[in-house]
Amino acid sequence: MNIEKKKENLWDSIFKKEWSYSKGAVIISFFAIALVIVTGKAWGVTGPYSIWGGKVLSWLGVNVDSWRAFNGSVGKYVFANSQPSLTNLGIVLGALLSVLLAASFKFKKIKNGKQVGAAILGGLLMGIGARITPGCNIGAFFSGLPAFSLAGWVFMVSIFLGAAVGSKMLKNWFM
Amino acid sequence: MAERELNCLGEACPVPLIKAQKEMESMAVGDVLVLHIDHSCAMKNIPDWAREAGHAVEIEEIDDGEWDIIIEKTKVG
Amino acid sequence: MNEQIKRSTSRKKATPEQRRRRKIIQISLGVILFAIMVIIASLFQEISPKAGFVLFIGIALGYTLQRSRFCFTASLRDPILTGGTNLTKAVIIALTLSSIGFMAINMSKFGLDMSAYDLSIIAGNVKPVGINTAIGAFLFGIGAVIAGGCASGTLMRMGEGFAQQWLAFVFFVIGSVIGVIIAVPMKAVPILKGKAIFLPEALGGWVPAIILQFGLLALVYLLADWWGKRKSTGIL
Repeated sequence: MNIEKKKENLWDSIFKKEWSYSKGAVIISFFAIALVIVTGKAWGVTGPYSIWGGKVLSWLGVNVDSWRAFNGSVGKYVFANSQPSLTNLGIVLGALLSVLLAASFKFKKIKNGKQVGAAILGGLLMGIGARITPGCNIGAFFSGLPAFSLAGWVFMVSIFLGAAVGSKMLKNWFM
Repeated sequence: MAERELNCLGEACPVPLIKAQKEMESMAVGDVLVLHIDHSCAMKNIPDWAREAGHAVEIEEIDDGEWDIIIEKTKVG
Repeated sequence: MNEQIKRSTSRKKATPEQRRRRKIIQISLGVILFAIMVIIASLFQEISPKAGFVLFIGIALGYTLQRSRFCFTASLRDPILTGGTNLTKAVIIALTLSSIGFMAINMSKFGLDMSAYDLSIIAGNVKPVGINTAIGAFLFGIGAVIAGGCASGTLMRMGEGFAQQWLAFVFFVIGSVIGVIIAVPMKAVPILKGKAIFLPEALGGWVPAIILQFGLLALVYLLADWWGKRKSTGIL
């Protein structure tokens, strides 16, 4: 009984105990730099999202490659050649791996209509915003500001202001 | 030594923390707040906040991906 | 704080035996998942060079994000909503370390005198800066806080099993399609056309750019540190 408890604690300390934010910061930066060193292309997330949407439309019979918005990108798209597509899949799997090895996976259902509304409105705004910038908190911010890009700094100020507005909306309508 | 319970299961972040902060405001020193959560962010940001505010905190994983956070108010404010 | 806080509980707990069984199942699934990842990575590697490596970088990022409960959204939202700035400071640390990394790479590409400066081979996303940058980021910020996760956060929470983020993801993709459609007429508006500004090039060298970049990062860090130490639960 005692040996079992010790075994569990060793496992927990390696695979379960949460890491500090700063440890996360260091490791995330490390992998982000490793990525750009090996592939030449910085980490990004939302680049392929419009194409994924276009792919679904094309499966539904819409001729998306004739749309100026897509510029033929949907037809040319290959998942395995798309770095952000691969890292996106990786992030989902990596997070799942983390919770499974920590034995803390739980499927969390949507609780109420407010969460539905929040997911829909929030998702739409992020999608639209990420195409206007173009880029998201990773592509335009985390891979932009550290590259000494002025756009990255402008993004940071703007997203902070947006987050303030979003916080007010969250508190008033979605809590 | 009153005890209050907040069921925050299924809440999106940062709702559990905001609810905890609000609840603590109306509690007396010595009162205990028990929060039920299943959000990984909350199992870190709630104890962080409570400890930084000077309260006694305990956290227990009571089921896969579910935690009970027990906060005892030790000072005013 | 060493004594156990006295309390009662009204929750029905699972028995230790049940929990142990579930723990073993979850860990086993995790190990199987890892094996599947290796197989998928090898398969991708055959289609495209480096694809397996890139997938594993993604896995490492997702693992780390979850393990450290890292959240860009919270770093921007918490100072206002809960008064906390721990994540804000962690993000600044990450930005600083990444800045050092990108600086090293680009210094070796362009030379210390910036004589070989070439935007087409630059490391990192140096995008045109304009009003569209601000508008897009602003909208994105609103959406990220409402949805409970940004681009990376949504993916992470999808892996953690949050149905809300799966729903948010669907509309994220829909919004992206709407976004590229909107972007077409927007690109034609001259006032919205920006220019990529690389600080070392714009400021006349690495030294002023380094002073500005790291100086600003340090300033924001100190600001966040001061704000977090205030006895406050935010200003909303």
